Amino acid sequence: MKLSVNGKSHDVDVENDMPLLWVLRDELGITGVKYGCGIAQCGACTVHIDGQAVRSCQIAAGEVEDAEITTIEGLGQPEALHAVQSAWIEHQVAQCGYCQSGQIMQAASFLQLNDEPTDEDIDFAMSANLCRCGTYPRIREAVKTAAKTLRGA
Amino acid sequence: MRVLTVLAILFAAPAFAEVGKIEINPPAQGSVTRAEGLQAFDRIYEVASHPRCSNCHVGASNRPMWSGPSYGKTRPHGMLVNAGESRIGAEHILCSTCHVNVEATERGNNVPHAAPRVAADWQLPPVEFEWFGKTSVEVCNQMRDPERNGDRTYLDIASHLDHDVILHWAWEPGGGREPAPYSLQEHVNDVLAWGVAGMPCESD
Repeated sequence: MKLSVNGKSHDVDVENDMPLLWVLRDELGITGVKYGCGIAQCGACTVHIDGQAVRSCQIAAGEVEDAEITTIEGLGQPEALHAVQSAWIEHQVAQCGYCQSGQIMQAASFLQLNDEPTDEDIDFAMSANLCRCGTYPRIREAVKTAAKTLRGA
Repeated sequence: MRVLTVLAILFAAPAFAEVGKIEINPPAQGSVTRAEGLQAFDRIYEVASHPRCSNCHVGASNRPMWSGPSYGKTRPHGMLVNAGESRIGAEHILCSTCHVNVEATERGNNVPHAAPRVAADWQLPPVEFEWFGKTSVEVCNQMRDPERNGDRTYLDIASHLDHDVILHWAWEPGGGREPAPYSLQEHVNDVLAWGVAGMPCESD
């Protein structure tokens, strides 16, 4: 099947029901997306499908043949970071970093829906992405900074 | 806020899919007594108040619940999930972020504790369809009130049960989850019997 990931088309020879997460990491070597729980409980595997955050452990590769898949590698580039990535650096959010690509992809999707979030909005949006290091306060501040950047304020 | 744009995109997609093997054969008019209609509604309420149904039929809190045999105790959906006024989570995190739309309902749903999935966009019912914690009389009066049941006749309700694949899932939830009582066909038959009886409620 053909999958479009980060703007590039890939031919992959996998079963239709292989989870997208497995295809990205094991077949395509795109390892920014992480395996955490495999049952949509932690958010580490979050990618965008046509711009919407989804848990890639829950999606079969065959379901997204016609979609545009974006991983953390395609969200921004070192010379042109996404506003969320810039905010993450500014606030030094990451500790161990394992969950952070999922956190960033979730935040970027959320801010497409709501670029003027309250603290409560951010908590509602981000609480399904777990961080064992407990970086939640800095995640919240970074999301607010990214929102401000995206609003052009 | 770009919620309205997202909503427009989501609701442009087909919300329901034809999956039915359900027969909608109402009893002959006049053939169901009020008492039999009330008995049918008792069974309907067993379904409506079952966690598999009522966990999502929540009110203006917009917070789905986790309750039932596999949850230990009744509590709001983990992860601070709030489906918002959109009832699909468009304000914060879409239900479909985890409850992804997949064609094969059996795939994944048999994994305990994983997010259930169907071939439709996961969502809460409208807020006026609140069943969680409601009494039989309250649910009965809501279900027959066109202002609070989506302007549906009993035939429309039966048809809705046939066509909404999320409702089909309630009887085949997989993953060790307890299914809704009876069968979907029996539930549809009870709705039809209750309807032919004149949609009686104990409070009448």
